Amino acid sequence: MNVIKRTLLGMLQPVVAVLIGLIAGAVAILLIGDSVVDTYREMWNGAFGSFYFLTNTLTRATPIILTGLGVALAFRAGFFNMGATGQMVLGGLAAAITGLYMPGPGWLVMIMALLVGMVVGGLWSLFAGYMDARFGVNLLISTLLLNYIASLFAGYMVSFPLKDRTGSAAMSQTPMLEADVWLPKLFSGMSLHAGFILAVLAAVAIYIFIHHSVAGYEIRMLGNNPFFAAYGGVKRGRMMVVAMLTSGALAGLAGAGEVLGTQHRYLDGALTSADYGWSGIMATLLASSHPIGTAVAGILLAALQTGAMGVERNTNVPLEVASVIQATLTLFVSARFGYLFLKRRKERKNNGSAV
Amino acid sequence: MTVLLEMQGITKKYGDFTANHDIHFDVRKGEIHALVGENGAGKTTMMRMLYGMEQPTAGRILVNGKEVHFHDPSQAIRHGIGMVHQHFMLFPSFTLAENIVIGGEPKKGAFFDRQSAADKVRELGERYGMPIDPWKKAGDCPLGIQQRTEILKVLYQGADVIILDEPTGVLTPGEVKELLAAIKGLAAQGKSFILITHKLHEVMEAADRITVLRDGVITGQMAANDTDEEQISRLMVGRELVQMSRAAREPGEKVLDIQAIKLAGGKGSKPLLDDVSLSVRRGEIVGIAGISGNGQSELLQVISGLRQPDRGTVELNGADVTGAPVRQIREQGLAHIPEDRYLWGASRDATVLDNGLMGHQQRFRKRGLIDRSSLRKVMNEWVQRFAIKTGSLDTQAQFLSGGNLQKLIAAREFAQQQPFLIAAEPTRGVDVGAMELIHGELLERCRGGDGILLVSSELTEILKLSDRILVMYEGRIAGELTAEQATEEQISLLMAGGKRQS
Repeated sequence: MNVIKRTLLGMLQPVVAVLIGLIAGAVAILLIGDSVVDTYREMWNGAFGSFYFLTNTLTRATPIILTGLGVALAFRAGFFNMGATGQMVLGGLAAAITGLYMPGPGWLVMIMALLVGMVVGGLWSLFAGYMDARFGVNLLISTLLLNYIASLFAGYMVSFPLKDRTGSAAMSQTPMLEADVWLPKLFSGMSLHAGFILAVLAAVAIYIFIHHSVAGYEIRMLGNNPFFAAYGGVKRGRMMVVAMLTSGALAGLAGAGEVLGTQHRYLDGALTSADYGWSGIMATLLASSHPIGTAVAGILLAALQTGAMGVERNTNVPLEVASVIQATLTLFVSARFGYLFLKRRKERKNNGSAV
Repeated sequence: MTVLLEMQGITKKYGDFTANHDIHFDVRKGEIHALVGENGAGKTTMMRMLYGMEQPTAGRILVNGKEVHFHDPSQAIRHGIGMVHQHFMLFPSFTLAENIVIGGEPKKGAFFDRQSAADKVRELGERYGMPIDPWKKAGDCPLGIQQRTEILKVLYQGADVIILDEPTGVLTPGEVKELLAAIKGLAAQGKSFILITHKLHEVMEAADRITVLRDGVITGQMAANDTDEEQISRLMVGRELVQMSRAAREPGEKVLDIQAIKLAGGKGSKPLLDDVSLSVRRGEIVGIAGISGNGQSELLQVISGLRQPDRGTVELNGADVTGAPVRQIREQGLAHIPEDRYLWGASRDATVLDNGLMGHQQRFRKRGLIDRSSLRKVMNEWVQRFAIKTGSLDTQAQFLSGGNLQKLIAAREFAQQQPFLIAAEPTRGVDVGAMELIHGELLERCRGGDGILLVSSELTEILKLSDRILVMYEGRIAGELTAEQATEEQISLLMAGGKRQS
């Protein structure tokens, strides 16, 4: 009973936030002078209107859910990991390299590519954690800046050493992966691939881990009150390794899933221009780091994006309406995030002050 | 005497819960009216209604005979009601004068007139017998002066009735005496006080009248001359309190042995701990007295592994645990009721259940997952045994009152079943009934052969429970007394650093 209630509450928040976003969007549409009902009908159709569009939305949701889950776990432990994008990019690149150069049967290469993507994403994230623990480099800043390093490094790799020189197109991308290492499609002719199953399983697994395991308990207490955790014998260093490694690994899996399931190669900018990483962070913040809620929020955000494409195809309302809605959401989310961040800082400062 | 303030038939309901029922209460001019009761008895609710922070469900509030409706504290202040909160609300980087005149600053043209503010404040302090230095920064002042500042602030705002919420919780014995003398002086000048407190000897010393509250209902209202501490506690608790005493015990071998602990302070400041050695034997309660901030917190942090000493050794239950991780020390035999329940002892955002699990993670681990059903069973026993008032085990800890949270923490640590227990301020802010229970449990554990290190700023608590008493002053052990020798005066003298000067 209680579990169900808590899960429902976890889902309620993102839904309410999206509703408020939709109201803001409605105002924008009215200002343009178009019909709100028609526009939103097109948006709904574009996101969920047919089986094709539904699977399209779920495909787009897959990396958002995975990065969102990773960020949720780190947030729960009190670590502000803003590096989902970079961790995803490196995970994707590593998966592409594995898929291209590892010998062996296709299914094995595919699994290895996913694992390597997770490990690389995890290590990249852990590196920021290490700098925090060892040198006191603020995690929020280091993870943010490491995004640039990762993206530009991956861009260089596919522009020079790993560049596909077989085709005539001068794109910055790796060669195409062999078809037998691709993640299988769930339905023929649809874009949805097995990565979505992984994302759903990950959401359930992270939920059980955070809410029902002893290690998850320690992570939550560390995030709630680090002094209480220290007093109770929770080892911050070890928990940081677990949280940052897992968090980065999920982002890495998101990147690997995109490469193996959708692009079938590493294409420069494909992961960053779609803003999966930031959408993931947003999904987490909308759902207050509840894993199931994060998955729901991930699907809603993806629906907003695919739905907006439908709007642009079929009406005079520009794609930017979706940006208005997203911006409203971002506003809510950043206010919330800023509040959380300041609250933590304040609590740390209040330590022992008598006044 | 004229009645300044009156509550008539006040009832306050939160949903189905009745916090106050049919309260009749009044304050006369120049009187100190004490309001006593256990945690959750409804004292705070009553005062919040007087101060405009809550509105009564039924009943009337009268000021100078006229009915009033306060919707926020500023209205209460305008009617001459002021409140000094338990936690001081001063800006540490402002001077005392600035803190006092805030909201009613004297101006010269468009500018804040600092000099005239300081003059006014100095004059105010002298008039009411509470002198302060108006130019000092609030953050640099001892807590006694900060409190004086709070009271002066309320007086500056023109209050005739001043509500003092647990005013002596953070003060040293000397400061308490001064405070009580000061409010008696103010009462003689015609100011009235509502004194909310747990400490019955303060009530007996200062109050003219006493109102006792239990479960939201007034159970007694009498003049201080007509009653005694025993009668008041009976009215508060609703039953007879058992007198406890230390039975003569034969201490066993050492369970904690600390040798020459040193902990450096910041650059250029005195060491936080200077050559501290002490031991606790099985079946013994060792009390550490001292004004807070003289190294007690640091000492406990060193023992429990939260802080590394620069020199010295800590031996627990026969093993050297100097600088060991917290978990290892706990497993070696430590249970720990921490001094600050919100900072160290609990997570406000987590549920009661999660707060109770801390330190018991290994016991309730089943294939890596938390065995919540067993935990629930055990914790329901704690809730019953310690009469912890909570909605359910899934309530967030922040909704528990301070005393109930303290009981939860105590229950959790008593359940650790370790031979050595640190009890730091174990009854801070808890009511008489809970205090009795926690003290009883400490003595029980001690009889069972556990060693207990008791740190408390309450001298009565130290004197009541300890077999030996150590006094800390500026990071050192300033003196050791046996329970038989110790008197309140002797300890107070050592706490103030008296011995070293003589």
